[in-house]
Amino acid sequence: MKTIGLKAGVTRRGALAAGAAMMASAAGVGRAAAQASGAPIRVGGTLALTGPLAQTGAIHKVVGEIFIEQENKAGGMLGRPIEWVLLDDQSKPDLARTLYERLLTVDKVDLLMGPYATANILSAMSVAQRFNKVLIHHTFGIPKLANYDRHFPAWPLGAEPEKTVTGNLFDALASTGKAPKSIAIVTSKFPSVQFLAAGARDVVKQRGIEEKLYLEFEFGNRDFGPIAARVREANADLLYVGAIGLEGSQLLEALDQLNYKPRNHYYVYPTPGPLASSPLGADAMAATAYEDLAPLNASTTAQEFSKLFRVAAQKAKLPYLEPDTQAATSYSAWQTLTGAVNATKSLDDKVLADYLKGNGADTIVGKFRFDGANNYGPDLMKVKQVQNGAWVIVWPKEQATPGKTIIVK
Amino acid sequence: MAARTRSNSAGRATPLLALGACALALLPLFHPPLFFESFLYLIFFWITLATSWTILGGFSGYVSFGHGAFYGIGVYAMANLGKPLTFGPALLLAGLLAAATGVAIGAVTFRIRRLRGELFALLTLSLAIIISTIVLNTPIDGGPGVMVNIAIPHVYEQQSSTLYLIGLCVAFGSIMVARAVQLGTLGRGLFAISDDEDVAEILGVPTFAYKLIAIGISSFLAGVMGGVHAIFVSYVTVGETFSISVPLYVLLMSILGGARHWLGPALGAIVITTISYSFVGGDSALIARAAIGLTLIVATIFLPQGIIGLLLRARITAPELPAPHASFAAAPKTPPYEPTDGPLLEAREITMSFRGLRALDGVSLTINKGEILGLVGPNGSGKSTLINVVTGFYKPTGGVLLHCGHDITGMSGHERARLGLARTFQIPRPFARQTVLDNIMVPALFGARHESRGDARDRAMEAIEFVGLQDRCDALPDELNLHQRKFLELARVLASGSRLVMLDEVLAGLTPREISEAIEMVRKIHACGTTILFVEHNMRAVLELSDRLIVLNQGHLVANGNPREVIADPVVVAAYLGADHAEN
Amino acid sequence: MSATLIGQSLLSGLMSGCLYALLGLGLTLTWKYLRIINLAHFALIFLAAYLTYEMSTRGWHPFLSALLLLPVFFMLGAAQQVLMSRYKVDEFASVIVTFGVTIIIESLIQYVWSADFIRVEKRLARGSLELGPWLAPWDQLIMCGFSIIACLLVWVVLKHTWHGKALRAQLDNPSIAAAFGVPNRKLSLALAGMGSAFAALGGVFIALLFTLTPSQIYSWFGVILATVLLGGLGSTFGALAAGMVIGVGESLTMALTAPAWAPIVPFTLLILILILWPERL
Repeated sequence: MKTIGLKAGVTRRGALAAGAAMMASAAGVGRAAAQASGAPIRVGGTLALTGPLAQTGAIHKVVGEIFIEQENKAGGMLGRPIEWVLLDDQSKPDLARTLYERLLTVDKVDLLMGPYATANILSAMSVAQRFNKVLIHHTFGIPKLANYDRHFPAWPLGAEPEKTVTGNLFDALASTGKAPKSIAIVTSKFPSVQFLAAGARDVVKQRGIEEKLYLEFEFGNRDFGPIAARVREANADLLYVGAIGLEGSQLLEALDQLNYKPRNHYYVYPTPGPLASSPLGADAMAATAYEDLAPLNASTTAQEFSKLFRVAAQKAKLPYLEPDTQAATSYSAWQTLTGAVNATKSLDDKVLADYLKGNGADTIVGKFRFDGANNYGPDLMKVKQVQNGAWVIVWPKEQATPGKTIIVK
Repeated sequence: MAARTRSNSAGRATPLLALGACALALLPLFHPPLFFESFLYLIFFWITLATSWTILGGFSGYVSFGHGAFYGIGVYAMANLGKPLTFGPALLLAGLLAAATGVAIGAVTFRIRRLRGELFALLTLSLAIIISTIVLNTPIDGGPGVMVNIAIPHVYEQQSSTLYLIGLCVAFGSIMVARAVQLGTLGRGLFAISDDEDVAEILGVPTFAYKLIAIGISSFLAGVMGGVHAIFVSYVTVGETFSISVPLYVLLMSILGGARHWLGPALGAIVITTISYSFVGGDSALIARAAIGLTLIVATIFLPQGIIGLLLRARITAPELPAPHASFAAAPKTPPYEPTDGPLLEAREITMSFRGLRALDGVSLTINKGEILGLVGPNGSGKSTLINVVTGFYKPTGGVLLHCGHDITGMSGHERARLGLARTFQIPRPFARQTVLDNIMVPALFGARHESRGDARDRAMEAIEFVGLQDRCDALPDELNLHQRKFLELARVLASGSRLVMLDEVLAGLTPREISEAIEMVRKIHACGTTILFVEHNMRAVLELSDRLIVLNQGHLVANGNPREVIADPVVVAAYLGADHAEN
Repeated sequence: MSATLIGQSLLSGLMSGCLYALLGLGLTLTWKYLRIINLAHFALIFLAAYLTYEMSTRGWHPFLSALLLLPVFFMLGAAQQVLMSRYKVDEFASVIVTFGVTIIIESLIQYVWSADFIRVEKRLARGSLELGPWLAPWDQLIMCGFSIIACLLVWVVLKHTWHGKALRAQLDNPSIAAAFGVPNRKLSLALAGMGSAFAALGGVFIALLFTLTPSQIYSWFGVILATVLLGGLGSTFGALAAGMVIGVGESLTMALTAPAWAPIVPFTLLILILILWPERL
């Protein structure tokens, strides 16, 4: 069952019918009704479907639709179909706040699902807090800012990613015996990314690695030429790029135009496709929560999700069809939500919150625990690397793609 | 046209508005779904930003692309200072910091005549980018964003309801401020600035001060709203706060609603906010967005005066004619001269150079009380430059200008207007978007008499009746013929109550019959006790009217004396006809 | 800080400047001669960029795409101008109308190509021209060439052809120009068409040099408006010079201090010029 948000004033039933007719291609409407019955359980949330964050918002929309269709086919939650009341927050935090209030007070949804990206999640969280609602969200980047006791993160960064994510990377590099002796850190001022890069500086210092360059550039920077020139001049063993989206690829190209190739290079949240497909991206490393690779995709759930995602992503005209961190954490957030509801047979927020704190959740990204500081559990992020034109997991060893080890130069 | 009904547009809207605001203030008592309060709050937010923008951008015509900067200063003032100072003082400071920034910018840029129109827009855009860069790279934010967690006064049970109430107060306050500005003397001045700033200045509008006040009010309100909004969003980032969409949407709302009316921007804000925040369905997001685009196009094309223009159209078809005045055709009284013995105006060795070219070269002359002084000279001889120097439009390169014995060389245009110096323009320069009555109201309010508003209206009506335009009070200058526009110029100097009136070729372009009428009019103006400097090419008229005649040629004063003797002077003949004729 | 670094940044700034000029060219012309502040210019640039991408996925060479796009966009621009003059949209209102067009085009782009990042994989040319220790990427050099040629072309047309003179006369006094037989309407349409043809050309290079996502339409507003105004409305070489001043200012700041401070130099410079030498603009 697929649902649509509506403008205020139109009755939901009428619009649902119209919506169903309109979206014949969405399928599943009839089947869902056959298998899950009763009044639907309504889950409300917003995503950045337009505006500057829409490119990633689109991934989360695709995943949510996949999940709900799957779930409803399998009998829904508590035997009732799930209905997703999805609204577009236009990438604006103030609108996100207003729309979550609308979801709770006008649409009167039963449960909430978080929006996309840190600022909007914080907005949603403040609303959830006022209503004591459980808020499960998938893409929150700065754990220390989240101090509501009923929020549950599915982006498995751990409570102090500014230490652990970078620490992981250096553990991986050190395991080869060829740990880099110097580093150049270049980061975008996108809040959640800058936060990690700034943390990386401390980690580097503790490990006695020489920081040859630390640069911050504005999010949305267009000209990477001068930055590339400085990276080339610093010529460090490791280039650490605090990049979100395509900033990393743009910097690489600017470096290529200066005939410079970084010896080792790491990216925080890169758009995965272009790095893997470009020859310049060879050996590039990044943090990830999931790839469609053994052993991460061992479960049938994970395999089926991966398969469905490729089909749906193609239909939604997304250019990169491999499910990775964004898609998988989104799916995990839904798994966390339905897992708690099905286990407790309850829609009560206190019951759900207590359950999640005590039991965590089993997801395709791994076992979530919410028992640490700010409801964060362990850091589940892994290190991946482009090898032969494709991403493979190289760290930690027990989760590495079989036969693959990290390449350090 | 909004401006056409400006003088009587207060009407019933205000009490209705106040009533509405009161009703909205009580809304939280009825516990509506929280969403409505939040949604209305966003409308209040945009109303405030658009309305505050219009006080500068719409009224004075100084279109700013930097409104987001003032709002952003407010946001970050609250984010950084809210904790140590508590809400109230921090909010005040948010407004004051924004206003201080605005006034500082204005103090530098408003002095420069060229920085109008698109250059001002560019300047404010640059400024917004600079401020955002500073915030991004200093501890004010530094990049990671700032959490705003500040207690606000307890009015309603829910904090969000209280915030809604604050938003309502700020928005309503902004609208009332805009209304007060528009209907007050300040508004008259700003509208005049928007139509023709140079003319406004020489009619007595203190343009520089008024623009500063306007930018101060405008940025103060934006800063206050920013302070409130920081609490609403609770986590502020540079990218979001200083995004280009803030100044852009503010501009769109103001223009769509009607930027030359205090209520226009609010209407625009309501329409655009409602449309763009209502269609947020997950699957219709794109269609809704495209629909907004289409709305903007269609609304602009079919509502050229904005939404407010549509609402006011009914009034325009039945204009409210001003009540006829009792003392028909009675000339306005000129105030008595100060008891000094010397000439009314004296110029000593005035020189005016433009990039090396001397338009006036050591010109000395006097204008005596009560005379009609004729001034003739070939084209380019410096006649208009002289007038521009006397009215203060140009600052002379050298020389001294005395008025009743007082040095006024360094005085600004509007100060001279208040002393009683006035001029007309050869090619009439009326305020194009204001009615005849509103045009004349400006000098009546700001000129030598400096009347209170009620008196100014009477004075303006007298002047209009004096020149016989009483049937065209509600016409726009475009709807007048040349002859009427020249008389509009005359009515202006009359309404100002000036002692010295400089008439710059009032007869040019008129038919012989109209010329006779105009000469008669000049006589009547003079009969009221006004001193006149009569600049003219029409020699018949000059000889007929002038008590004394001076002649300028190539920036020099070449003759001065009895009109009939002066025109017989060989030097004067040479100036007009070339040296050969003079010798023969 | 080495000479290599500074020289390289200078070079990079000059090339950015050429791009700014190319993107601003159409905007400055229509603003000056038609009194239309055409915000849709930015949307048209991106529409052309996406179309270039689409054709590149079918194996079209970008120059071939440009050949097709230029006339098509010429028609689009002229069509918009028909609307603008039919309804007598003034300068103020043109901002709203063209912003409306921008939103519609943005939605269309997102509908067709999704909001995700898109990149033309095929480059015009790989590698860089080596000038001693300094490198100039070939594809950017080609862009610079087109930008300079376009500016030159417009300048020649405006200054030395009958149509150009007629245009300038029309700006000074439309009714007198009409009396001398200057075909008001046709000229306006041609100019508007030319403006958006330049948008198409700019779009081709945006596609070749940048990553595309619909919301990027707005990220160019600030710098291009600044270029156009700093250069003086209607002045092609002014735009080129202004673009280079801004580009070099940005890139030197990036090279010498923190890149995040980059915007502050050109815009402070701009404000100083505005305040100290307003008559220069």
